[in-house]
Amino acid sequence: MKYDQYSLTELIRNDDFIAWVRHPDEASEARWQEFLKNNPEKRSVVEDARGYVNLVAEDTGKHKPTTEQSRKMWSVVESHMADDAEEEVSVAEEKTINSWQWARIAASVVLIAGFGVAVYWYQHKPSQVAIVNANVEVGTISDVIEKVNDSDKPMTILLEDGSSVVLEPAGKLSFFVKSTTAKREVSLRGKAFFEIVKDKKRPFIVYTDGLATKVLGTSFLIDAPENGSEIKVEVKTGQVSVFPLSLNASEKEKEAFSKPELTGTILNRDEKIAFSKVNGKTIKLQDTPRVVNVTTDIADQLFIFDETPASEVFKALESAYNIKIVYKESLISNCPLNATLVGQSFTEKLTAICIALDAQYEIRDDHVIISGKGCK
Amino acid sequence: MANFETLRNFGTDQELWAGIRRGDESAFTMMFDAYHSTLYNYGFKLCSNSGIVEDAVQDVFIDIWRLRHNLTEDITSIKFYLYRALRRRITVALGKFPLTEEISVLDENNEPSSFSNTETMLIASESSEIRSKQIQDLLAGLPERQVEALTLRYFDDFSIDEISQIMGVSEKSVRNFIYKALTSMREHRQSLLLSSLIFCLLFIF
Repeated sequence: MKYDQYSLTELIRNDDFIAWVRHPDEASEARWQEFLKNNPEKRSVVEDARGYVNLVAEDTGKHKPTTEQSRKMWSVVESHMADDAEEEVSVAEEKTINSWQWARIAASVVLIAGFGVAVYWYQHKPSQVAIVNANVEVGTISDVIEKVNDSDKPMTILLEDGSSVVLEPAGKLSFFVKSTTAKREVSLRGKAFFEIVKDKKRPFIVYTDGLATKVLGTSFLIDAPENGSEIKVEVKTGQVSVFPLSLNASEKEKEAFSKPELTGTILNRDEKIAFSKVNGKTIKLQDTPRVVNVTTDIADQLFIFDETPASEVFKALESAYNIKIVYKESLISNCPLNATLVGQSFTEKLTAICIALDAQYEIRDDHVIISGKGCK
Repeated sequence: MANFETLRNFGTDQELWAGIRRGDESAFTMMFDAYHSTLYNYGFKLCSNSGIVEDAVQDVFIDIWRLRHNLTEDITSIKFYLYRALRRRITVALGKFPLTEEISVLDENNEPSSFSNTETMLIASESSEIRSKQIQDLLAGLPERQVEALTLRYFDDFSIDEISQIMGVSEKSVRNFIYKALTSMREHRQSLLLSSLIFCLLFIF
């Protein structure tokens, strides 16, 4: 058989032909019409080839995002346009991506190993509340702190990066005094509400029995009762990803999880999942009406203030975080505040309020002192 | 690859790019509007988890804005730049290393030296519904990389050279992906014919 460059398959793969079918212009239109005039017997082949090109194009192009998805993506991109001034990074980063990535993974592996030992240590010495030194990386020693809430009120724990965790009674939280540059990690038993300061480069990971929850900066609730068979994760703002920690998870899975990108099951705002410790399955929970809690549940509180006197704002914060806030009532009490403080950590909320009040705050062991000249 | 109806204000890719490098928000917005949708479509061929694809698309744009003052001055095609960046992101997100591997399964030498008798591969003059269904089934059953190559070629209008750079394989491999995809169309057709024949026989007896 003679080679025919105008056969069906050849046409379908011909650059000029594809360009003519997809985006005809005057020149290509003239050229192909001329060809058809001179080769009328090729008309049906050309029509068939055109049909195939169009069908393949149509079929490979049917995964466009919905309007809702487009809107969502744009809002995330837009939010980064505003707060990008703080991080000016040079393009050198992109060129060296491979080498630093390996270094980061190597560091993470060592870190996970060290952390695992620390967690194991604690879980088997429940009566001891002490600081244990865990060797993390050569030359550095990171201290692990364990906080146990044995009171009957929620306890607020402020982390080094400015994030806050409200630990419910009987809960237990372990974390490094100083987290590494690659990740922020904590381990939880019981129920806690997290408000995590945004840091795209350093994911915040919560380890619970058999499940890891990763976020870049958001607020969410985790309920991992010590004797329960389920772990519940509920997202208040932003996005988190959850990832079952199976003992035989492949190295690739572990690597993927230690990177800043969100992988695994992704949860969006107001979504909940339950992870079964028994079979390792994750189920998305329907939006069941919540049983109204007698105790103030911080996850359900909206810190939206409109011309609210500062004293009331502080009262709301005190009761939510169970931290005493001390300030000069005569000066500050009646200053009106407008603020929407959703999904921010305790310290971020304080910072926002203090900027509005032109005041400063200082965190002491169990209370916060606000000082300022007051309004007017 | 000239499809700049939406980019009229900035005429060419170079002008749009210069606008972004200056920090012009309208240029950046325009680029997002023009490309995010097809970019997502491409990302979905690499990973069918919409959350990961959304994140990756967002990050590609966020990075450009963040690094706008340090972006390369010369750019031939913004679209090409975006697609390459997205592929890199998704590959990393999925934990696949390295990014430019040659697939070993793909033997560079098994491309036929001539396509002389490939005419039989696609049957002309079938009804358009059959053909449409045929393409749909075919694409659903193809390996990921063949679908990726077809998408970049027929939907995204990239040249073989550009596709080879985006996918990190040789041009010959790209031709191969596309050739194989079109070949399986014939095989698929034959198996369809065979199974319907068997069905008819069973029905008769």
